[in-house]
Amino acid sequence: MKTENKPRQHGKMPILIGVSFVIPALMLFSVFILYPLTTALSYSFFSWKGTLRGDFTGLANYVTVFTKAPFDEALPNAFSHNLLLFAGAMVFQNSIGLALAVVLHKIGRVKRLFQTLFTLPYLVSPLVVGYLWSLMLSPLFGPVNATLRQIGLGEFAQPWLGDPTTAIWAIVFITAWQWIGFPMLLYGAALGGIPEEISEAAEIDGASGQKKFRLVTFPLLLPALGTVSILTFIGAMESFPIPYAVGGSTGSPAGATDVMALLFYRTAFESGDVGSIGTSSALAMLLFLFIFGVAVALRTSLARAERKLYD
Amino acid sequence: MRKRISALGLIGVAALVLAGCAPAADETAEEATTSASATAEAVDPVTLTMWSWRTEDVEKYNTIFDVYEAANPGVTVEFEAFLNTEYNQLLATGLEGSDGPDLAMVRAYGGVQALIEAGQLLPIDGLVDTSSVEQSLLAAATGRTDGSLYGVPFATQTLQMFYNKGIFDELGVTEPTTWDEFIALNEAIDAGGYTPMALGAKDSWMLPIFHEIVGAARYGGPEFRDELLAGTSDFTDADYVASIQIVNDMTEYMVDDVIGVAYADSQIQFTAGTAAQFPGGSFELGNFTTQAPDMELGVYLVPTPPNSVSDKPLAAGWADGSFAINAKGENQEAALNLLNWLATEEFGQLFVDEVKQFSAIKGLTYTDPVMKEMNELFASGPTAYINLVDMRYGDPSGSTLIGEGIQSMFLGDMNATGVSTKLQDGVATWFTPGA
Repeated sequence: MKTENKPRQHGKMPILIGVSFVIPALMLFSVFILYPLTTALSYSFFSWKGTLRGDFTGLANYVTVFTKAPFDEALPNAFSHNLLLFAGAMVFQNSIGLALAVVLHKIGRVKRLFQTLFTLPYLVSPLVVGYLWSLMLSPLFGPVNATLRQIGLGEFAQPWLGDPTTAIWAIVFITAWQWIGFPMLLYGAALGGIPEEISEAAEIDGASGQKKFRLVTFPLLLPALGTVSILTFIGAMESFPIPYAVGGSTGSPAGATDVMALLFYRTAFESGDVGSIGTSSALAMLLFLFIFGVAVALRTSLARAERKLYD
Repeated sequence: MRKRISALGLIGVAALVLAGCAPAADETAEEATTSASATAEAVDPVTLTMWSWRTEDVEKYNTIFDVYEAANPGVTVEFEAFLNTEYNQLLATGLEGSDGPDLAMVRAYGGVQALIEAGQLLPIDGLVDTSSVEQSLLAAATGRTDGSLYGVPFATQTLQMFYNKGIFDELGVTEPTTWDEFIALNEAIDAGGYTPMALGAKDSWMLPIFHEIVGAARYGGPEFRDELLAGTSDFTDADYVASIQIVNDMTEYMVDDVIGVAYADSQIQFTAGTAAQFPGGSFELGNFTTQAPDMELGVYLVPTPPNSVSDKPLAAGWADGSFAINAKGENQEAALNLLNWLATEEFGQLFVDEVKQFSAIKGLTYTDPVMKEMNELFASGPTAYINLVDMRYGDPSGSTLIGEGIQSMFLGDMNATGVSTKLQDGVATWFTPGA
């Protein structure tokens, strides 16, 4: 009898307590996330005159953002820049972050100091970082071009933020400069979590240097890699402060640094079109669905890959 | 893992929260208008609130309203200013609810249409005497679909060339009166070791302003605007294309890589004395006088380029904003009295003296010599900054299109014809001439 009752009581209590614990968070989530999310979704299905809601128009706003000017050109342009920011961050920011983490893990001694130094920019507002770098890269007063000229590399001096071919890469660089400490910390923590014994066992088995990293360390870093990739993806898709500081709301020069969030911002807050609540809500919905869908898909496939690896 | 995903969702949703700020409104302004009768006799004390985005001018407006309060016992005007960049959302939300202001500063032209179409502003045709206001500026507060007037414009901006008198004296050059003199002047400044013109071409909004300053006379200003609005001409007109070409020709007199120069950098070029001239709007005045208090500032209109449609130099101008009445306000009678005063010369002069901006009221006296000259220049050849005044009623706006187009032209990816075609095709998606 007793043995039967105990687990039942054990199961009952947490449900009640659990629910009461969840309620405050659920309320906050509903008010600040669920409500705006569903209202934005509903806004996107209506026509608008200022803040006055008009008729239900179904998918008309979505058709507009895919087919009508300026969206038909701006949307693919901005979206491709978001993808480029993601690719750039994966290639530069995350690989260098991993390399830094491995090096710092090895040297041990001044690890803390360097960890702090590399993480420092990430504590500054990205808007400030963006303005700082646009000063650094200014063709008039910027120290970057001045230094290049002084060391005899004057031909490399460029209007970095004025040339469409360099401007978007400047944003990739500035973002990487600010966020490099983030993958470094995550990888560093993952490296620290790998038991010494595994490493020693691999050495005894004859694996050393590269081979040990490739076959032992790296696979054990996979969960961290997944997390970093997904967070990088979200960061790149929602990138706003740095592009805004560097190229303004229009993504200067000539749309070369335009991203989805800037397009949304322009549509929602700077448009002369009285129906902009509808179109900007549609844009926000599309962006959300894309980020959410890809993030979930990435997470699922990474979890599967991890399982395969450890089985 | 689940925790992480919901955290991701949280970030992903942030953009939507922004979009969710504007509440839906289904009621119209009709009820509110009738409720105005609730306002009792003028003797009853009434407090009028006015919202504004001019956080820097709160004290000045308080001084101005002290004059009104003294003349109208029982009326108190509370002037509240909000952050410029957040003002549009705050106002739209405030006018929607019950805690909105009685009066508000509203944006001009395309910027006010959303409030008008949502029925949030009181139409004032016949209720406010606007005879002292510069009539061409009333368009700034006129509903595009119904043609009714919704506000009294308060400030105007004009475009011209600023120059550093010290550098001009040092080089022995003077204000140009013909196009040849203008070119010779730029050559002389260049030879003298200064940058002739400071321009922030990295910030696209500055470029249509520059286009108006050097090209308005070339395409013909008011005449072209009439034809454009009537549909007898459009932006691909040969004279308009030629005016864009002038913008490109002028890069010779700017720093190399001007496309990389930010607007703020160009201001520093001028105030630090490395550039002799700054093509810009009257809104620069405050910055120039604080950043370079010792610099002696001069202004002139760029002379007419060869083959110009206009026979005199033109100064483009526009209204910066208007005062309007909340359609749901409870003190509309008192608000209308105040708005009538805001349309008088008395207010205009106070505005000029206190706020030190250009007023939309006619016939005022400017004591500051530079402001006085700018005002005279504008009076000598007024024209509208078309891409702001007429081309911001839809998306994409004219100023965005021409700004981006000129950037492409500076980069060598587009010629002047391409820029004007881009502009015409872009605005044609929402702009119907003659409508």
